[in-house]
Amino acid sequence: MNSKLILLIFVLVPSLMKAQVHCGAVSFEPNVPVAVNLTFDSFSQYEAGITINNVATLRLRVEDQAIPDPDCKWFLHMEVDNNPGGGTSSDEWETLTTYGSGTGNKPSLDILQIRVRNNCQTSPIDGIFQNFSNSGDILDIIADLLPLTTAGSCTTNVNGPGNYQGNYSEYTFSIDVRVRPGYDFNPGVYELNVRFHLEEQM
Amino acid sequence: MKKVILTLIALAGITAISNAQLIDEKDVTVTMDLQPVLQLDMSTPNQIEFVFDEINEYYSGITQYAATILKVSSTVSWDLYAVGRSNGTNGAEFWDQQIDYGNDNPNAVPNLPLSLLEIRQAQPNNGSNAATGPFADYNQAFSPSGTPSAGNSLYVNGGTLTPPSGDDKYIGGHAGTSGIAGDDFLPGGSYLTQTGNTSDYYYALDYRIMPGLPAIFPNAADADGGAFEDIVTTNAAGSYAEPGVYTMYVQYVLLEDQ
Repeated sequence: MNSKLILLIFVLVPSLMKAQVHCGAVSFEPNVPVAVNLTFDSFSQYEAGITINNVATLRLRVEDQAIPDPDCKWFLHMEVDNNPGGGTSSDEWETLTTYGSGTGNKPSLDILQIRVRNNCQTSPIDGIFQNFSNSGDILDIIADLLPLTTAGSCTTNVNGPGNYQGNYSEYTFSIDVRVRPGYDFNPGVYELNVRFHLEEQM
Repeated sequence: MKKVILTLIALAGITAISNAQLIDEKDVTVTMDLQPVLQLDMSTPNQIEFVFDEINEYYSGITQYAATILKVSSTVSWDLYAVGRSNGTNGAEFWDQQIDYGNDNPNAVPNLPLSLLEIRQAQPNNGSNAATGPFADYNQAFSPSGTPSAGNSLYVNGGTLTPPSGDDKYIGGHAGTSGIAGDDFLPGGSYLTQTGNTSDYYYALDYRIMPGLPAIFPNAADADGGAFEDIVTTNAAGSYAEPGVYTMYVQYVLLEDQ
């Protein structure tokens, strides 16, 4: 009797876990971390900021299951992280080192701006620089819980199965970064991490 | 029965593995290196000459208007001050005597204090609320002949670059690190982005030397303006400046608020 119960658990638990899975796989290709170094050493850079276009390219692959499921959809967002476990205030960059007296303010997190774009402008925030206020803030690129918009439609919120090889303009996102520090912050080296999160809609 | 259990375990594992593929993440790490930029642009003749060869020039002095223009660009909170220096030929706080005229009368004093040079800044120091001395900056008008004033006397500190104290004069900002803009520093910025006809990042400086008659330089004073350093006060009654050629230099120092 006990062995039958164990068998039942083994069969049911994975089945329950899989109950809401509609896609076969979701992934960034390739998935290599990107490091961007911005050095401000002239007055004009402080005043005008530094913009680097296409610091990273997100290439997406969302596969259907062997038997296609019409509910296979995905969402994509970005989340900022300043290593709060290290004692960084939620609205500041993480300090790696400081120059000079170190008595000035630490850079506020909102001076980092991120822009996402692709040829079909599939994201509602396409082409517009966005900023964050606090560590852990999330900005949607393709939001969760949207109805299905199939690949190939070249419209907003494409979120069905597809990949950058078949539909480059919908499954590729270029990431631009801009930082304009101004003169309010203490000189030093600071760091932030932006995590792009791709997930199947449940 | 064992085979069945093993098969089910394998199936469960495969299912779990396939679930792991339904999320993926990619990181972009942004490192920002904010290097301090303190830039002082100065327009001034290589040498400013004061030639006293008329009696009225001794009485009223010679003024060189806007002889030096200072333009500041800084990415950090800053202070700006002037300090009088020399090669120390006659002592650390005196002009260097290059040549002397006349017969070396015992009352003719060759040690002219560096503080006899007067400066006037057109733009007041708007970062000196915490100053404690009688003169926070060099913005006051040059005093008329016959009315000695220490208000424009150049800051000197033993021939060194040591910054002025809270009692002394700064051109911009002041001693201390209160963290309150306007109290003892001017915030980062640049003359390049200023509008209007005045700016805390742009200073036109006038120079004046007034020997007086006899030539005792009545406006020479110590750093905080509390005591005069004219030739008679620092020597003896009847003393006067020995005729000759003298040189010194003014060093302008722009530094992070301190």
